[in-house]
Amino acid sequence: MAVDVRAPEHPRVQRLEQVWEERPGILGWLTTVDHKRIGLLYFFTTLAFFGAGGIEALLIRTQLAQPESKVLAPDTFNELFTTHGVTMIFLFVIPMTTGAFGNYLVPLMIGSRDMAFPRMNALSYWLFLGSGIFIYIGLFMGFGPNAGWFDYVPLALRHFNPGPNVDFYALGLILNGVSSTLAAINFIVTIFKLRAPGMSLNRMPLFCFAMLAVSLALIFALPALTIDLVFLELSRKVGFQFFIPGNGGDPLLWQHLFWLFAHPEVYIIVLPAFGIATSIIPTFAKRRMIAFPLVALAELLVAFIGFGVWAHHMFATGLPTITLVFFAAATLMVVIPSTIQVYAWTMTVSAGRPEFRAPLLFIGGFIVFFVMGGLSGIMFAAIPFDQATTDTYFVVAHFHFIIFGAAVFPILGGMYYWFPKVTGRLYHEGLAQLSFWLAFVGTALTFFPMHIVGLIGMPRRVYTYPHGLGWDSYNLIETIGSYILAAGLLLVAFNLIYSRFSGAPAGPDPFHGGTLEWTIPSPPPHYNFAVIPTVSSAYPNWDEPDRAVDAGKLERGELTYEAGHETPTSTVRDGVFDEVVDMPSESPWPVTLAFFAALALVMVLISHYAIAGIFLLLVLFSLAGWHWKEPQEA
Amino acid sequence: MSVIRSMHAPPGRADRHRIARPNGWWGVVVFIATEATLFGTIFGSYFYLRFRTAAWPPKGIPDPAVTVPAILTAVLVATSLVVQLAFWAGRAGRVRAAQWLLVLALIVQGAYFGIQMHLFLDDLDKFSPSGSAYASIYFTMLGAHHAHVVFGMFLELFLVLRLVAGLTNYRLIGLQATTFYWHFVNVLALCVLATQIYAAL
Repeated sequence: MAVDVRAPEHPRVQRLEQVWEERPGILGWLTTVDHKRIGLLYFFTTLAFFGAGGIEALLIRTQLAQPESKVLAPDTFNELFTTHGVTMIFLFVIPMTTGAFGNYLVPLMIGSRDMAFPRMNALSYWLFLGSGIFIYIGLFMGFGPNAGWFDYVPLALRHFNPGPNVDFYALGLILNGVSSTLAAINFIVTIFKLRAPGMSLNRMPLFCFAMLAVSLALIFALPALTIDLVFLELSRKVGFQFFIPGNGGDPLLWQHLFWLFAHPEVYIIVLPAFGIATSIIPTFAKRRMIAFPLVALAELLVAFIGFGVWAHHMFATGLPTITLVFFAAATLMVVIPSTIQVYAWTMTVSAGRPEFRAPLLFIGGFIVFFVMGGLSGIMFAAIPFDQATTDTYFVVAHFHFIIFGAAVFPILGGMYYWFPKVTGRLYHEGLAQLSFWLAFVGTALTFFPMHIVGLIGMPRRVYTYPHGLGWDSYNLIETIGSYILAAGLLLVAFNLIYSRFSGAPAGPDPFHGGTLEWTIPSPPPHYNFAVIPTVSSAYPNWDEPDRAVDAGKLERGELTYEAGHETPTSTVRDGVFDEVVDMPSESPWPVTLAFFAALALVMVLISHYAIAGIFLLLVLFSLAGWHWKEPQEA
Repeated sequence: MSVIRSMHAPPGRADRHRIARPNGWWGVVVFIATEATLFGTIFGSYFYLRFRTAAWPPKGIPDPAVTVPAILTAVLVATSLVVQLAFWAGRAGRVRAAQWLLVLALIVQGAYFGIQMHLFLDDLDKFSPSGSAYASIYFTMLGAHHAHVVFGMFLELFLVLRLVAGLTNYRLIGLQATTFYWHFVNVLALCVLATQIYAAL
């Protein structure tokens, strides 16, 4: 190899460095449009919310450790379990997987220099941050959301819930939904258009397929939640009658719209985890994924079927039997694409030469919990069983195996896996394996006994319970488990912080991964790729001849585009080179717009509608200011 | 492989040289898809509530007006043609023509919006949105559509101002996106009108 593509002293590379460099300091972070910096902003913010949600969980478990405990007042308990659910779903898992992992990795995996709409990407982050702060201000003022994360009416209506608690929930989630929608649009267009020339859809990494499936699901699921929340706020603020039976309304409308969003949401939560698993497994099993096209299709199919199963959350609400049977059958169908993936993961590991380092261990834990949570999930398709266990701890056990075991374990594994790429340093392997076993044992101890207490009748969301029902020892075990789990998570955090400063240098490709992010230096430079990479398979980093071709291209200045702030686009299906587009540079408008949007919601919250209107006008002005400066003027 | 530095080429030429749709085209199409789902949810809720109520509209609430909204909707839908012509003019490099066509569309749509607001306030005088689920969904649906009309006019106004400084590829793609957005808003207008005719039958 004549020239390393990563060679920093090459004049073309130095020119790229100048063109793509952003302003330093705090102002640089406020105006950044670099997908990697936005990814990091998402990462640290969601991690903070994960900490908050975790503390809420520990408080809940502490209260439930013993019968008739008085650690928390009933109202506080309600606020804590609601905020815990809202935080973990809307402020941790989704923004962590899409915002942090997706933003950082998708452009690197497809060989692009940024997302398709970099400024909109920044806007997504700032809106998300606004929504999180908004909801937490409510909690700290003593008005945390308190009607459960699915916020059923009539409990959530003004008559039963006169404080502003539910308003913080509804308005915060509307803002959060706008943020997720914009992020999803960005991912879809990025994946369709910015793939390196040569990366046809069948050569796209499975992680990107998962992100595509998630984004499509978000695009079509979030509007149902947004409309539902608008209906709720109109009902609470100005007395609209959507949910009032005497006046032609129907409280079940809330549930239908909510679950029409929230079941796809479950797959939105776990699909990125599938994507992370399909990234980690080939690297440590040292072979390509088995059944690559089937796994890609299964990822899309899970997202699609997810739209046809919402009413299985409502089997106990008195829907007609024919409806129940339809949704039970649709629910069983989800088994097919899920099983395809489980077989593909386990067979790839067993057909390869697996090296059980920490990331792969976490994926192992993920598969165990996904299968167990999946099996208890199928049981809900049996309508009588579902009706018997609705609102018991059995349901809590099931969805925590899925949402914690199956969604968070790959996130933790992914943190270790891409840590060397992001920081340029290796994590501590021994501590990482110890943290896995603590988290694994903790998760099993916390959530497995919930199946049993659920089956013997313990309802969810009770703030305490009497002696002598046979629930005491199970609850104590769960609480002990939750502290072990917390210890495991703290160890992950400690390992990453410690290794950030004292880890051994990682080099560009410590694990010999297959995808494009491993072809570039760690941490990645601002422009990502000195040469837009040559791609002839789904594992381009294992195609050594192609990497040598790239080195030649750097010498000749082919596909380097160092003249301006540019990246090439390609055709949607075949990835044929199309044109070079100018990418926008840093901009103060996204953060400004998000600020005005959040203020508009604050004004709605305190019922100053005219002032809210003024802030919405300022949102439009920000939008105009944003587009006044065009990418080619940078 | 000929490299087209599209953003530096005269706008319109880059548009003809592309072999695939540009990023902006995909962005607005996906945005419209999610917006359409949003309105689909509103229409779905409308009929969900309708089939849980015997009388639609309920007693004491007048049938929705049909004749004036039908004429107004026809006028609004006609502006789809005007904005489409503006895009074609822009693509052909006739900036001033594009600009004046947008101004024409704006005037017509502004008049439409003014009369619609008058009808909306008139309805509010007759019956309150907090009187029945019918009234709630009726005003929510109309309000959501009017908000979209306002946003569409904002996009046109922005483009009219930007085209003063000439045409760039960025503005041409913006013009195309605005065109698509207006076609979408006009399809919505027809759907909203259909629910009004349905309730008045």
